[in-house]
Amino acid sequence: MFKLVFWKYFNFLLFFLLGINAIYATENKLFESPTVLNNYGMPGTIDNPAAEAFPEGQFSVSTSMFGGTIRTNLSFQISDSLTASFRYSRIPTLDGDFKGYTWDRSFDVHYLVKNQSHFFPSIAIGLRDFIGTGLYSGEYLVATKNISSRLKLTAGIGWGRLSGKNNFSNIFGQTNRTTGSRGFGGTLSINQFFSGRNSPFFGLEYQLNEKTQFVAELSSDDYDKEALSPKGFDRKSDLNIGIKYQLAPDLSIMGSLMHGNAIGLKGILAVNPRNSPHISGIEPAPMPLMDDSSLRKIQSNMDKDIFLRTAELLALDGITLLNLEIENRSINAKIIDRNYRDVSQMVGRVARIIAKTVPLDIKFVTIEMIDYQSGYSVSKVTIEREKLREFELVFDGPMKLWEYVKIENSATGIHSSSNPSDSSLTWSFYPDIDIVLFDPHSPINGSIGWVTNLSYKVRNSLKINGSFKQAILTALDDIKRGPKSGLPNVRSDFMYYYRDISTRPYLDSLSIDQYYKPSKNIYSQINIGYLEMMYAGIRAEAIWKDVRKPYGFGLDISAVRKRGTFGDFTILDKNYSTFIGTLYYDPYSNWNAKFDVGRYLAGDFGATVSLSKTFNNGWEIGAFATITDAKFSAFGEGSFDKGIILKAPLTWFTGKKSQAYRETVIKPITGDGGARLDLENDKFLYNNVARYGEKSFKDNWKRVFR
Amino acid sequence: MIKNTFFVLFLLCLSCSSDDIIHSEKTNFYKMYKNLFVKEQGAANSNISKKEISHDRKWLSKFKQPIILLSSIDGSSKATLVALGNYKNKLTWVSSDGISVSFEDGILIATRGYSQDLMESEHGNIKSLLNIMSKSRNKTYRYLNGQNQYEELKFSCSISVKKNMISKILDLKLKTTELTEICESENSSHTNLYYLLPGTEIILKSKQWISQTNGYILCYNYYAFQNNLF
Repeated sequence: MFKLVFWKYFNFLLFFLLGINAIYATENKLFESPTVLNNYGMPGTIDNPAAEAFPEGQFSVSTSMFGGTIRTNLSFQISDSLTASFRYSRIPTLDGDFKGYTWDRSFDVHYLVKNQSHFFPSIAIGLRDFIGTGLYSGEYLVATKNISSRLKLTAGIGWGRLSGKNNFSNIFGQTNRTTGSRGFGGTLSINQFFSGRNSPFFGLEYQLNEKTQFVAELSSDDYDKEALSPKGFDRKSDLNIGIKYQLAPDLSIMGSLMHGNAIGLKGILAVNPRNSPHISGIEPAPMPLMDDSSLRKIQSNMDKDIFLRTAELLALDGITLLNLEIENRSINAKIIDRNYRDVSQMVGRVARIIAKTVPLDIKFVTIEMIDYQSGYSVSKVTIEREKLREFELVFDGPMKLWEYVKIENSATGIHSSSNPSDSSLTWSFYPDIDIVLFDPHSPINGSIGWVTNLSYKVRNSLKINGSFKQAILTALDDIKRGPKSGLPNVRSDFMYYYRDISTRPYLDSLSIDQYYKPSKNIYSQINIGYLEMMYAGIRAEAIWKDVRKPYGFGLDISAVRKRGTFGDFTILDKNYSTFIGTLYYDPYSNWNAKFDVGRYLAGDFGATVSLSKTFNNGWEIGAFATITDAKFSAFGEGSFDKGIILKAPLTWFTGKKSQAYRETVIKPITGDGGARLDLENDKFLYNNVARYGEKSFKDNWKRVFR
Repeated sequence: MIKNTFFVLFLLCLSCSSDDIIHSEKTNFYKMYKNLFVKEQGAANSNISKKEISHDRKWLSKFKQPIILLSSIDGSSKATLVALGNYKNKLTWVSSDGISVSFEDGILIATRGYSQDLMESEHGNIKSLLNIMSKSRNKTYRYLNGQNQYEELKFSCSISVKKNMISKILDLKLKTTELTEICESENSSHTNLYYLLPGTEIILKSKQWISQTNGYILCYNYYAFQNNLF
């Protein structure tokens, strides 16, 4: 019953999970309108492409349905010209393994070569399903031109799937092209691009009124597989027509008549991380700054203890003061902040408060930031006190202040101070949702239950962390797929755990976490215990990071054993180990890169490349791919491990200060090649350290007086 | 199935943590979804008094420290602010619910606590506006966008003067000099009004524009009346 409900509302759920935030943002009316996405989630008319691009940074979720076909697309406008999309499709085929359907993943890229000018159209080039199994494989060159403010025309030429009807000899002379599936997928077939016969296609868009658009096209896709399948449809003409209606700036629907026979429906949601609905945030105003005579008067009425009066004011802003040391004309404050995502804003607020409470002869304020989880002193920022008030309300004040700010690596060791109000034991009890996507038998599967997290601080550098879970409603205990063959089953047998645990309470993780900081730039940790649902053992991580440099290095080593499938304390006699070296690179741009090299869980050697587009407000949208010495055939479908990463900060949605974020990793295939331990984000040191680095401050320094 | 569904809902009600920050984060995630159906008021405006109070000299005499009154254009939201920041000729006034406005000689130069704060502004010589020497001026307003970068509005303003205008402030009717400043930029325009004590550069009340999202505020500089000058 539960599975039926999930399945029935597959598309709705995907919309809900990925797109609900866009609806929320819509109420703030601050988003750019998406142009018409086609059924592939790319710029286009209905099924055809068009030479357009979405606003840079736009992330769209769309689902289209017609004639037995369902396509759910995630699209991202990587730059002004480059669009990429990932798609999960249900395709009616004669040899479909799943009730007459084939479930297929595919990736597209689209590049806007040239924008339209007064006389010339815009031109774009694109590759469909260029790295998948090839069921949707096709390439195109397309031109689009606005004829009037309401009318837009598109014409193009397509290859592969786009050359099914009205085709003629290849204009480039490359006549041979193999058709059909490319086996496991995941591989590029560059020699196939723009090969074989080609066909023209055309499109027309007419704006009927502000919200309604009429769209028509002549499609060259012959839908031969779908037409042959009893679950598909009869293709009666080349013509597709549709009406698009914009419900909200970022929410559109489209109804269409496809090829004279099938009724189509499409929904499009779009969100642009660049446009926060709360713009500068709705946190209360910071502490204003004063001249010397007012300060003297105010300080005479304050508590005589400088630490207490400072700690009291900082606590009002949710910041914990651990220690305050005065040396000559400088003051050094050690703080823990668990509220502000934006370190520049946080440091600005701390400096304002300290400037209000410390004696007037103090000229320099040094703020040393301690990481809450590990107790490391991560970085320290020194600000000239006089410059703070001099530039507070001055035009270009933040940039002028930046000249008087010093960011340094902080001391070795773990801080020994403790916050008196901080209890050694913290716990939480919350609902828990676990979702497994892309199982052809049940494309969206999940469970709802509870999770209890416990953390006991033995000392600042040593913690015992545990997580206990129980599913109450679950469909994960009936996953029909089995493990893959070809490599040791280190991850692809995950379904046995869900099956055996079912609705029993189980130990998700229980580990002793010890942190070390042996030098100013080296941060390390050791985790011992039940590290995740499938593995127990020991793991050690060390990173080198200079807060003034845009790069860092890491080493992650583990020796683990498989856990029993019932989620209890049982450990199986199956040993595995990993050692992975990492280069992190965070240039002063909107991109972050990570390169991992080493031995993965299944004993395979290889490398992972991760690339993310980052936004100053905390959003990250990226992708990763892992290629190891495991053969593509041994990995199975998809050929190698890859995925999409989405990271959305809570503060973007609420406007309130918070370090919380939602991270979603969408992996089309779960295989054994390139597998690693599946640890919580806070078990990786680099991000916790890098967020206090010079780049973080510089990127957001304009918020220092917010 | 129904029993389990109710059990899940029951668990949702039991959600809790010993850690306030974890609880606040979780609650805000739930609220994010709840807001789809029941829109929460912005925190910045939530505590502004809507109670009708007679703002007269008797009411003002109760305050022991300098105050100003901020009001929305329609007068439905009002808040008294106290001066908590001063440096050179700039004053920052703060309300109890966390809004601050900064003025230089009575001209709004920055705000904090609004959803689209005026982060910084450049006005050139403010004195020449107040002593009615110039008929035009340029000014630049800066805001933060969603990426923490500046969005800048460059205004060209024309200034007109009307003398001997009767203005009601507190329970007084005073002759004032009215300065009207009409400002236009590429994408935005606004009209600020300043009411000055005749023959001085003291602004008694004003209507000043903050941003496209937050519009205008009316500002009554009651501190000018707190030394029994009238």
